[in-house]
Amino acid sequence: MDRDDLERRLRNAAPEVLPLSVAELRSMSRADARRLATWLTVGVLALVALYGIVFPGSTAGEVFWTAIGQSTIESSLRLAVPIALTAIGGLYAEKSGVINIGLEGLLIISAFAAVVVADVLGGAGSTGFPPVVSFDVGGSTYTIDPGVQLLVPNVWLGIAGGVLASMLLAFLFAVICIRYEGDQIIAGLAVWLVALGLAPFASKVMYGQPSTPQVVRLGEWTVPVLSDIPFVGPILFDANPMVFIMLVSVPVAWYGLNRTSFGYWVQASGENPKALDTVGVNVNRVRYAAVLISGFFAGIGGSALSLGSGGLFNGAGQTMVDGRGFIAIAAYLFGNYNPFGAFAASYLFSGLQALQIRLQGIAPTEVFLMLPYVVVVIVLVLVGRTRLPEAAGEHYESGED
Amino acid sequence: MSNTAVRLAGITKRFPGVVANDQVDLTVEKGSVHALLGENGAGKTTLMNVLYGLLQPEEGDVYVKGERREFQSPRDAIDAGIGMIHQHFMLVDPMQIWANIVLGQEPRKYFGLAVDEQAAIQQVHDLCERYGFEVDPTETVEDVSVGVQQRVEILKTLYRGADVLILDEPTAVLTPQEVEDLYDVLDELTAQGKTVIFITHKLGEAMHSADDITVLRDGESIATVSVDETNQNELAEMMVGREVLLEVDVPEHEPGETTLAVDDVTVTDGDDIDRVKDVSFEVRAGEVFGIAGVDGNGQSELVEAITGLESPTSGRIVVEGDDITGHSRRQRIDDGMAYIPEDRHERGLVMDFDLVENGLLGSQHAEPYSKNGRIEWDTVRGHAEDIIETYDVRPPNADADAHSLSGGNQQKFIVGREFERDPSVVVATHPTRGVDIGSTEFIHEELLDLRQRDRAVLLISSKLDEVRQLSDRLGVMYEGELVDIVDPDETSEEEIGLLMAGERPDGIESMRTTGGRP
Repeated sequence: MDRDDLERRLRNAAPEVLPLSVAELRSMSRADARRLATWLTVGVLALVALYGIVFPGSTAGEVFWTAIGQSTIESSLRLAVPIALTAIGGLYAEKSGVINIGLEGLLIISAFAAVVVADVLGGAGSTGFPPVVSFDVGGSTYTIDPGVQLLVPNVWLGIAGGVLASMLLAFLFAVICIRYEGDQIIAGLAVWLVALGLAPFASKVMYGQPSTPQVVRLGEWTVPVLSDIPFVGPILFDANPMVFIMLVSVPVAWYGLNRTSFGYWVQASGENPKALDTVGVNVNRVRYAAVLISGFFAGIGGSALSLGSGGLFNGAGQTMVDGRGFIAIAAYLFGNYNPFGAFAASYLFSGLQALQIRLQGIAPTEVFLMLPYVVVVIVLVLVGRTRLPEAAGEHYESGED
Repeated sequence: MSNTAVRLAGITKRFPGVVANDQVDLTVEKGSVHALLGENGAGKTTLMNVLYGLLQPEEGDVYVKGERREFQSPRDAIDAGIGMIHQHFMLVDPMQIWANIVLGQEPRKYFGLAVDEQAAIQQVHDLCERYGFEVDPTETVEDVSVGVQQRVEILKTLYRGADVLILDEPTAVLTPQEVEDLYDVLDELTAQGKTVIFITHKLGEAMHSADDITVLRDGESIATVSVDETNQNELAEMMVGREVLLEVDVPEHEPGETTLAVDDVTVTDGDDIDRVKDVSFEVRAGEVFGIAGVDGNGQSELVEAITGLESPTSGRIVVEGDDITGHSRRQRIDDGMAYIPEDRHERGLVMDFDLVENGLLGSQHAEPYSKNGRIEWDTVRGHAEDIIETYDVRPPNADADAHSLSGGNQQKFIVGREFERDPSVVVATHPTRGVDIGSTEFIHEELLDLRQRDRAVLLISSKLDEVRQLSDRLGVMYEGELVDIVDPDETSEEEIGLLMAGERPDGIESMRTTGGRP
């Protein structure tokens, strides 16, 4: 919505809003009340922004100009990667009827596995792939040589490893939920708790401490010419490759969900699985695929988290994932299962985080740390109920009446 | 070439403890409408699920166009040209109509990568044109009426190349006008060579729509007759196994003072939608006040407001002059209000309780069943046994769990429990839904008996002939409003049908005395 429209609507709303009596407020319907609260909030934010524009030296001004600054946008996008990708994966699973609350666990396991694979395949260089393997049996040495080898940077092999680990765990989750009809919420919590314990433990076994040493990190991609475009150039064309992947994944995921047969099946499987079954599509196969997709995207997200920034896995406390999997769930709900919406929500959360890092001087750190979560609560109240898929969380067995 | 579309020979299907189909034969002529008539539990749907591949029979053979077939799944049946429209629609509500129709067999483009939306819409459009359906393929399923949704289901089977269409109780959810439209659709289908099998327990519908009728009773096929050679009484007798009175004999009775008054009641749901809008009427002692309407037009919400399960947003409920709007459910029972709920499994009975315990429900706080906070089980048992005897609940075993009884007997037990409270007001919601003809007859007699004893009866039913026959006055609800109150003896079924669809035919005499808008 453009600013003119916003202003017009505010001006229209104002005369009705302001003289409301308590009795009138009480008799207002819930939908009207929500609309009123939304517009009041938007109005207040617009006023603050306006004040910031007019008085750049004020606190509001500092916040405003920092928020639209190039470096804030750059780091917001980078911070959004794990959340947005995980959210896209999660919405596929939930659209198909499987609520994957274990996304946090998938992020943890893939962040760790990516580091381990990159490390095992050797440092910062590249590895021939597939590798030449030799082993001794009964005194003679056998060598398996694939003949042709591609030179693949270890960091990308690490990412592939992270994705694989995440998909394996997602598959296990799918088997529990679909094949054995386990409760999705409990199984999802189990995925999280298992990963939360397993990754630091494996790290201790391998490296003697819950966090791994730094192995290798993803460099930035610089596109010649395009990166010279002012403002947009450095943000989009001189950035972490994971940012590109995220920006491409969003429309691809949207297309897949809304324009392909598989996307229709996913939606039908979550809304009315029986309708899908009676036209001859295997509901559980669709659900397996959707859960594996959530594992795939969470796997990229987790690898991006470890190899994309520090090049290591931090297993202290809640690990370096630190609730991003749960924020991702909030993001796709807030985005109403639309990949674009989920991305926007992820950007909102990560943007607040980026802002917090930059604005710690203005207010106590704790206030800013709290901010993303406060915004989640406010936004979910204001936007109202997301429409959940009708059959989300329910098992489906063919032939049951 | 044989003119038989489908033949079932000696089908036997057993479920644990029941034989649902016992050596059933059925022959359906190509291009005809064949009704499968029987009471609930007679095995009609089971038989059709066998034909549709959802169930595999223990014995018997299925022949389609003269060829013996074995269906392992609906997919096989669809391939053989059989389509089934279930009672509960198998539609994905938030999807557009075209997407529902082509689901699972979408036309593709870009090397099979994407769904070709334009082609799909065109194909659906062509189908509609061919069979004369007025359906806009781009509308979302949840935005269209139930009648249109049913047509979408029919289109779905036609898109898959069905020659034989099975419709399971297709009229249960339709308004009388939509039922007429459905008959037209069936005519068009058979005119184009399709064959229709129509499952129903309503005699009138079978007589009206079908060419041939096969009657099932207790899993056995009783007879197959041509509609030209039979009549409703004969069919009813075949269905029930004994002679049945189809017409209810309503004796003359002069109503007394107003017992229940509903005054300007509005009920708003969680989405801020007014489910019931400013409804006013009163029910007098010794009167049956009926409410007709298609399900989902606010009847349930109105009943919940009257019985205290839901608070009205505004308005008053008055019983014998006392405002009981703020009374709890328990207080209302003590105020003399009995309630036969719409869903006996959800609200009428606890299915895992035996009849002794179920008979206590609603009286658990009252003497003589409860003394000093303890339940007097001997008294309670005696009470349940009384209900079983008086209301002819079978089997007569107070220790049986509620779910072991048939629907009709469960309903008779609820009716008995509620009427034994000696209520001044009875709210009966769909009292004979899913109940066999025999029990229906009994429940109707009990309701009329209450009327003779000067009780006020509020009867809500989606069965038009039921409310018309029993009611002294009849209110019609549409989209939460009480459209009008009419004399059921002076108003034709068609006129009431129009009121149920929100239209107002000319020349209807209103019996409305209070409230409401013109």
